[in-house]
Amino acid sequence: MRLYSASSEETLRARKLLVNWADEGLLATEQYQRLKKETVSELRTTNIFLRLVLFLFTLVGVGAGAALFFKVFLSQPLEQTIGIFFLIFAAVCYAGAEVAVSYARLYHYGIEEALAVCSVGFLCAGMQSALFRGSPYSPTPDGVHSLVPAAGALVSLCIWRRFGLWYAFLAAMIFVLFLPGYWTSSHSAQHIVVAVFYAAGLISVAAVRPRHRSDYLDDDFSLVEALLWLGIYLAINLQLSSLNLSAQWWDGGTWNASEFPRPFYWTTWALIWCLPPVVLARGVCQKDRFVIAVGAIVAILTFVSNKPYLGWQRHTWDPMLLGVLLTSVALFIRRWLARGPNGIRHGFTAARLSGKDKHWMNAGSAALGLVSPQSITPSPQPSSSDFRFGGGTSGGGGAGGDF
Amino acid sequence: MTILARLEHWKKQGAISPEQHAHLASLSRGEPFSLFLELNVLLYAGILAFVAGLGWTVATWSKQLGDVLVLTILSTMLAACFWYCLSRAPVWSPAETPAPSPVFDYVLYLGSLVWCVELAYLENRFHVLSGQWDLYLLATAGFFCFLAYRFDNRFVLSLALSSLAGWFGLTISHWPSHQDAAYRQYALLYCLMVGVGGVILQHRGLKPHFFGTYLNVVTNVLFWALLSGVFNRQGYGLWLLALLIVCGASIAWGLTRRQFAFVAYSAVYGYVGVSSILIRGVTDETLVLGYFVISAVAMLVVLVQIGRRFGRPA
Repeated sequence: MRLYSASSEETLRARKLLVNWADEGLLATEQYQRLKKETVSELRTTNIFLRLVLFLFTLVGVGAGAALFFKVFLSQPLEQTIGIFFLIFAAVCYAGAEVAVSYARLYHYGIEEALAVCSVGFLCAGMQSALFRGSPYSPTPDGVHSLVPAAGALVSLCIWRRFGLWYAFLAAMIFVLFLPGYWTSSHSAQHIVVAVFYAAGLISVAAVRPRHRSDYLDDDFSLVEALLWLGIYLAINLQLSSLNLSAQWWDGGTWNASEFPRPFYWTTWALIWCLPPVVLARGVCQKDRFVIAVGAIVAILTFVSNKPYLGWQRHTWDPMLLGVLLTSVALFIRRWLARGPNGIRHGFTAARLSGKDKHWMNAGSAALGLVSPQSITPSPQPSSSDFRFGGGTSGGGGAGGDF
Repeated sequence: MTILARLEHWKKQGAISPEQHAHLASLSRGEPFSLFLELNVLLYAGILAFVAGLGWTVATWSKQLGDVLVLTILSTMLAACFWYCLSRAPVWSPAETPAPSPVFDYVLYLGSLVWCVELAYLENRFHVLSGQWDLYLLATAGFFCFLAYRFDNRFVLSLALSSLAGWFGLTISHWPSHQDAAYRQYALLYCLMVGVGGVILQHRGLKPHFFGTYLNVVTNVLFWALLSGVFNRQGYGLWLLALLIVCGASIAWGLTRRQFAFVAYSAVYGYVGVSSILIRGVTDETLVLGYFVISAVAMLVVLVQIGRRFGRPA
């Protein structure tokens, strides 16, 4: 199923680890140079920036190529003709991606990724045009129309497995979101169907993962498991998965109780409190970075969405309390770990062990310092203030905002 | 062969010592498992949420709380943050200095953001510099710059650069009409100031590790300014020339320093600028689409060549 051999991907993983260890000073330069020769892979890789740019230009080229084809060869085509050609483009793009990997040995190089992504896009557009004459998505129950997102989800899953592209799995999860809308008009049932799909995926991943605990696939499965946990949480948190999220949040949040059956509504409220500890416990037990991160995110989301769930009025100082809580938790964990023997407790440490962490901190602090002033100054509630400051559109922590 | 098997093989070969093998194998197994990044992100999110709530509360309840209470609370927090930083900061050094404690950077960041909230409150309530309050931004930029260099903090340096950009933006907003050309000139002046400042500080050995932050900010602002000139209906020739020169410089810098973000910047900004000139006024859709196909393929070929020669992950 996988397009790359296990040995090639293991070699690439070993090379990355060697670079990290050499950066950290865990290997001498001579050792690094010697071991580097033993981790030569035939796969062609590139850095993240060139990968992104190559992805972008491949998308531009393919999109323009398809449009040019229709412009030159089909002046006023029927909807079904367009659909058939979209399907042909999908096949061509997918074949191009396969060829790029098989012959040019591209590995996460941007080009083959964009071709694979285009194949999914063309497939869905082609099926919609060829089978349903391009009628747009409508959230009314019609099982046949669900073929399009179902095909999109399946092909995205195949691309994830074959090319190892994590975002193809995310695309499959997004396609699944559209499925229940074609099967039932009940909003409660739609939430349940999505959660059941994600839960089935989670069970499958959890069953497969132990076999790959120490190999190159562990990172892939870790990310996928984290995405599925997050998907399940978002599917059951009715406050977050609501479409008019921003409009209703500051008005007391009582609307949901009437839209959904009361038992269902309160069951989801109980679940959003149960899920974060489960995810965090799973992440900590497995020492899984992505799952721990998702556990922390869903815990914060639970705190944030609890008041709207209960229909309580939100207060301006709620973010302050959340901030104090987050800071206290971080400080407590750091100190607790630091007081263990050699700064380690139960196999965890707060110390930095990888050069990558420092790199991420440096890049993140510079970028977040530029954007955070814009995000800390929300617009005040118009009814409760006779003056306003905020906006922060000019930087300086809001000092340059709209007074 | 998994990494653990490979390490075992290297140990038998004598390529690594048994101690190295034990250490690297435990790292590969995630033993111990570092929560360094996660705890830092949690601290950052906590500070940001706290200051957001503080600003919002002050804005909403200032009348009920009263100016004295609000200013006392904000000033106390400010004083506490800066007292903590000043009392724990190591002796200043022009080189990169590690933070004396894991929370030091976040206390400084909290103090800087509280400073912004207090300044905004003061001006809004008392109108000390009414009509001239862009000077607050200039003073804030200078203050943050001092803090960034004194305490070796990238967060605060970014705040300083965004405050300075805000000052340039606000100064021009006082003009009766907002003209692109005037904005562009100010953007270029900003690039010149920040760029030259960054170069001088780096050459003098003052926190040379900050140079990357300066360079990324300046490059992006400069490209945006030049692109806005290229989009002009008339008189865009010089701007196009300047764009091409900056693209060349950015590529050269990126390739020689192996900082491929700059190659990506020049590829994207350069492509947008040149394309806007070449397809300007062309009404034939076939020609436009043909251009995008050919130019995208050409860009791919060039970038793949660059990638093959320079762009492998280090």
